[in-house]
Amino acid sequence: MNEYVTLTINGSKVKTPQGTSVLDAALSYGICIPHLCHMPGISPIGACRLCIVEVVKNGKSKVTTSCTLEVEEGMVILAHTERILKARKNIAEMLVAEAPNSRAIQDIALRCGVKEVRYPFRNKDCVLCGRCVRICAETWQSKSLGFVGRGSERHVALPFDKRPEFCKQCNDCINVCPMTITPCPGPMKKGEEFFCGLCESQLSMAENIVDTCVDCRLGEGFNCLRAKNK
Amino acid sequence: MHTEKLDNILETTGKSSSELIEVLQEVQKTYNYLPEDILRNVSEKLEVPLIEVFRVANFYKAFTLKPRGEHILTVCMGTACHVRGAPKFLDEVLGQLGIKPGETTEDGEFTVETVNCLGACALGPVVVLDGKYYDHMTAGKLRVLIQKYRNKSCKESKKQ
Repeated sequence: MNEYVTLTINGSKVKTPQGTSVLDAALSYGICIPHLCHMPGISPIGACRLCIVEVVKNGKSKVTTSCTLEVEEGMVILAHTERILKARKNIAEMLVAEAPNSRAIQDIALRCGVKEVRYPFRNKDCVLCGRCVRICAETWQSKSLGFVGRGSERHVALPFDKRPEFCKQCNDCINVCPMTITPCPGPMKKGEEFFCGLCESQLSMAENIVDTCVDCRLGEGFNCLRAKNK
Repeated sequence: MHTEKLDNILETTGKSSSELIEVLQEVQKTYNYLPEDILRNVSEKLEVPLIEVFRVANFYKAFTLKPRGEHILTVCMGTACHVRGAPKFLDEVLGQLGIKPGETTEDGEFTVETVNCLGACALGPVVVLDGKYYDHMTAGKLRVLIQKYRNKSCKESKKQ
């Protein structure tokens, strides 16, 4: 038998088995916290920082990623406070600046309330979310690819940049990558990047229906409530 | 032939996966760089995933995956050395050898590396050639030094 713990997320009581993360608990109750690097059944790394929440303890609140935060009895979580929404918007903005060539990231950013990107576009092909690395190591037990290099040179690579013989060629690393869906206006060239935001008109319709992100196949259950209380 | 050397290394270090860095250091000492086939063997023998070995080899500046030259020239680019003109004579040396930092000359003689600080700022600009420190470097001094090492290895090869 699983032991259950009760915690409060955004004021509602949530009962969930011990050992689950706050993000999973919230998602199972339909409380939507935006996320990118999280995948169900795969260990969390807290790389994208989109799922940040406030944890209230002894009258003080701390901001942490909810995917790496384990549930505790009597925990008080605030997922959509003004402070969080502001920080999250900023994080989403930086993700778009890093990799504007992804519909998933553009979509998440739109839903986090980003209107324009104030950072210089870097237009990389990777945001180091580690989805490919973790699915390869955990689901397939293959470890064919991983993070290589340090600091700003950190990137995902194959050993010696060659496909190793123990790679199972499952193509899951490509399937889970947020960079595989190009934004609606097409791939963006260097120097011509922009924040898309074309589907903003559809947001009001999509907002209240679960699982209807404009095209967010990656963040399943990702239905980020936009800054409604603002 | 390759595996023999590796077996010798593994005998002294042990085959635990926690000895990875030590093994790589020994391999680097033996071959002067980390050859790909040896790393594949290391991964098998220590039961460490290949990507982990590759990651560690890439992470530390002390490891190199490309063959290195006989003489390794390290030029300090720290603040003090920079102010005293290290970039100027580095350019000159690179022009003389025809390479970029981190590369090796075609004849396999010299590898030029840059380093952020050697901790000998009072002696700047500092250059290290094969572990020996040379202080107050100038372009002229360095040119003479490189020529000396070139001649030395030429003589040695003639003797053989």
